[in-house]
Amino acid sequence: MTNGLPIRLVDLTVNFDDRFQLNSINWQIEPQQHWVITGANGAGKSALAAVLAGVLDKSAECVSGSIDGLPARVGLVSFEAQAELIEAERKKDDADIMDVISEGTPVSEILYEDCQDRALAEQLVIKFGLEPLLDRAFRKLSTGESRKVMLVRALASKPDLLVLDEPFDGLDANTLVMLQEYLQTLINTVPMVMVLNRFDEFPRFITDIAYVENGELQHCISRDDAKAYSELYQLLHLKTTDLSIPEADPETVIPCLDPEQPLVRLNGITIKYDETEIISDLNWTINPNQHWQLSGPNGSGKTGLLSLITGDHPQCYVNDIFVFGFQRGSGESIWQIKQFIGYVSTALQWEYRVGTNIRNVIISGFYDSIGLYSKCTDKQRAIADEWLALLGMLDRADQPFNKLSYGDQRLLLIARAMVKHPPLLILDEPCLGLDDMNRQLVLALIEKICAGSMTSVLYVNHHPEDKIKGIENYLALGT
Amino acid sequence: MSNNYFNTLPLREQLEQLAKCRFMDISEFPDGVEALKGKKIVVIGCGAQGLAQGMNLRDSGCDVSYTLRQAAIDEKRQSWKNASENGFTVGTYEELIPTADVVLNLTPDKQHTPVVTAIMPLMKQGACLSYSHGFNIVEEGMQIREDLTVIMVAPKCPGSEVRNEYVRGFGVPTLIAVHEDNDPKGEGLALAKAYAVGTGGHKAGVLMSSFIAEVKSDLMGEQTILCGMLQTGSLLCFDKMIEEGIDAGYASKLIQFGWETVTEALKYGGVTNMLDRLSNPAKIKAFDLAEELKLIMRPLYNKHQDDIIDGTFSRVMMEDWANDDVNLLGWRAETAETAFEKTPAGDVEISEQEFFDNGILMVAMVKAGVELAFETMTAAGIVADSAYYESLHETPLIANTIARKKLYEMNATISDTAEYGCYLYNHACLPLLADFMKDIKTDVIGKGLNLEDNGVDNARLIEVNAALRSHPVEAIGGVLRGHMADMKKIV
Repeated sequence: MTNGLPIRLVDLTVNFDDRFQLNSINWQIEPQQHWVITGANGAGKSALAAVLAGVLDKSAECVSGSIDGLPARVGLVSFEAQAELIEAERKKDDADIMDVISEGTPVSEILYEDCQDRALAEQLVIKFGLEPLLDRAFRKLSTGESRKVMLVRALASKPDLLVLDEPFDGLDANTLVMLQEYLQTLINTVPMVMVLNRFDEFPRFITDIAYVENGELQHCISRDDAKAYSELYQLLHLKTTDLSIPEADPETVIPCLDPEQPLVRLNGITIKYDETEIISDLNWTINPNQHWQLSGPNGSGKTGLLSLITGDHPQCYVNDIFVFGFQRGSGESIWQIKQFIGYVSTALQWEYRVGTNIRNVIISGFYDSIGLYSKCTDKQRAIADEWLALLGMLDRADQPFNKLSYGDQRLLLIARAMVKHPPLLILDEPCLGLDDMNRQLVLALIEKICAGSMTSVLYVNHHPEDKIKGIENYLALGT
Repeated sequence: MSNNYFNTLPLREQLEQLAKCRFMDISEFPDGVEALKGKKIVVIGCGAQGLAQGMNLRDSGCDVSYTLRQAAIDEKRQSWKNASENGFTVGTYEELIPTADVVLNLTPDKQHTPVVTAIMPLMKQGACLSYSHGFNIVEEGMQIREDLTVIMVAPKCPGSEVRNEYVRGFGVPTLIAVHEDNDPKGEGLALAKAYAVGTGGHKAGVLMSSFIAEVKSDLMGEQTILCGMLQTGSLLCFDKMIEEGIDAGYASKLIQFGWETVTEALKYGGVTNMLDRLSNPAKIKAFDLAEELKLIMRPLYNKHQDDIIDGTFSRVMMEDWANDDVNLLGWRAETAETAFEKTPAGDVEISEQEFFDNGILMVAMVKAGVELAFETMTAAGIVADSAYYESLHETPLIANTIARKKLYEMNATISDTAEYGCYLYNHACLPLLADFMKDIKTDVIGKGLNLEDNGVDNARLIEVNAALRSHPVEAIGGVLRGHMADMKKIV
């Protein structure tokens, strides 16, 4: 290994032209490691890669923190670097005071100017099929061609660190395979950091993955950590997929509600256990198309209040409750109530202990049942599969629900709650018990739901950081 | 004091009643709870079963309240708390019974005579009285006022399951019956069906039976395979493992959770599937052990069935009721003192397959018990459907209670009648199997066969597989489980 020292970024905050900021990055790249930086568009992947390539001396300003161990010779391939070079070429042309049409710098010059190993460079030129282009002006190449030139230039510069920002973009299939194979031969020679957006493009030799969002390095996971790896895959999928939430089933009809009536009207309600009143004389009305956030400390009766609405709390029969057109206790069944509600909570997850596959878990949302006890229609099955595709879990459709990770189960239960597009979606602490990555996954899914449906969301939590866009009404208990 | 109703019937009618049992299709319930709509349902008793059924009926849109004895209300006993904290109206017999259109008697068997005697005069003309067990009518010969309709709706699961399955959107298999001597308006069946829908039972399968078939098969199943065999098996297997030097914590865990694990396979695919979970040599071993067990235990199963049919069992048990339950309480205390009961499950990991591999004898005991109970019941004139439900079907449910808190939990969950019969069985079966157990080693309980070679003789394996698959309990089981699968019960 040519590189002795690890590269260390400590609490590094970097300003890029006031347009973008990398915040408090803590990261260490050890010799023998090969990283992928990944994240959604605009997350800061390229910015982080650029820091490694020495951008701090040029167009970005270090606000605080430190970086050390950065090698002198960094080979960089990126669209920005490519664009910069072409821009420089253009300027060269403009700057020409002679009244001669400049042909621009030939490819050979670009290739060999930084070259540390002429023989290697020549080999690579042949490998990448660049021979016919050697005398062509660099700025006249196609994007793919100029990308190949950038790659050969970087590889032949004998770098101590190779930073490849989306190196496979714009390459034809053959070149892509060839490049992957070639990089494989370098793994003991030079550490690599690649920016990649697609998991299926991650080369085998990648040892670690950095996930960037909002200019923050949010997760560093080892390739060997299969669980974290698959969660990260899903997170990236949800953040980057173009899929929106599937439509409701036209045949699973939820009766129409009178738009003039509130969805829920609780009138002076009380919940008590033994003689202790948990909630006293509370009034609450939820109108159609209102999103609510319900908060309150533990034991303030949040879940009790929700279960009065869902009909799961026996004291719903001794309170004045009007839900979805029914005055409770007037001969209606709970299934008539539940058809209007999608519901997710930790307790539901505990109760969902049935040995069924994950597709059936989603379908069970059409029937408000835990487990599936009715024959589903082909359409329902197709909709369930669309949800699985959105979650990036379609390939696991037949796996048993109870063998899934806690976070995956939560995602599925949210999809189950939403599958019928209920007028009211109740999310009772949907992030409870989840680690950071799964929390982000759940929030990403909920945002997709809020953006893509007419459902009123009732969101319960006590983590102020788990905010959901678009919620405008608040009810606080026990304050 | 009591007058056994069954014994008053001519043989022809006895046989006819015993043979009553028909699996109803879900399409036979198109009216839902309609027959109960607008009717006032009053439940007597608010234990686990009473509370669960009342909550289900209310959640299905029915008007439900509870009546308790004055003392239970005044002293705010648990039953009063159960009902009132769940938002039900609670009142005395005098307050509520006269208002009731349907009265659900969900008190323990031994209270039926005093309870029914007390409420009958208070009941509205033409109202309906419902039981969830026919003991009072069949064994005690209770005579009900002629204008009253008498039905039975018996969910075949403990109260907690009745509620949990309903909340999940499903139900538990339920047996319904109409007491033909008391169906003056001919509305008994409609009411029983609506009641089964209200508790969710129609989704899991309803068995149309008779009071007599229910009592005679229920008693037989619960005291032999369901509770008796599991209790005797637990004690024998545990003591054997300790004797053979197996770690007590391991032995305790293997049994406590072993019944649940092996009978889970039974639930899905009958005795055949349970044995198919074993390796070929282990399967043949379990088969041979079960054959031996059946040979030894058959007279005991016959005796239990005979005593149930001719009323000896209920008469003896009622003598103990009259004697302040001296026997029952003594046996209960005795069970609490057994080594198995007192040894907590160890903190060891036992994989699902290991429960089979190291519990060959337990598998054999379940097989022998299920088949014997089934064979004995059908030989006594009970139809296969009933016999299946009262033997194979319920075994996993009882095994689940042992997994929760061992024999204590099992005996606490089942009825006093079942518990009494279970102890009778246990006391007779322990000495009966003493010689058999002498030859048992850890290869069939505790450690597994540990063979270097899993080879078996082809002819023998074919013979064993054929015998397993051709048993009558497997034939009816295939049909009934098929109904369940049609309903996509995925539990």
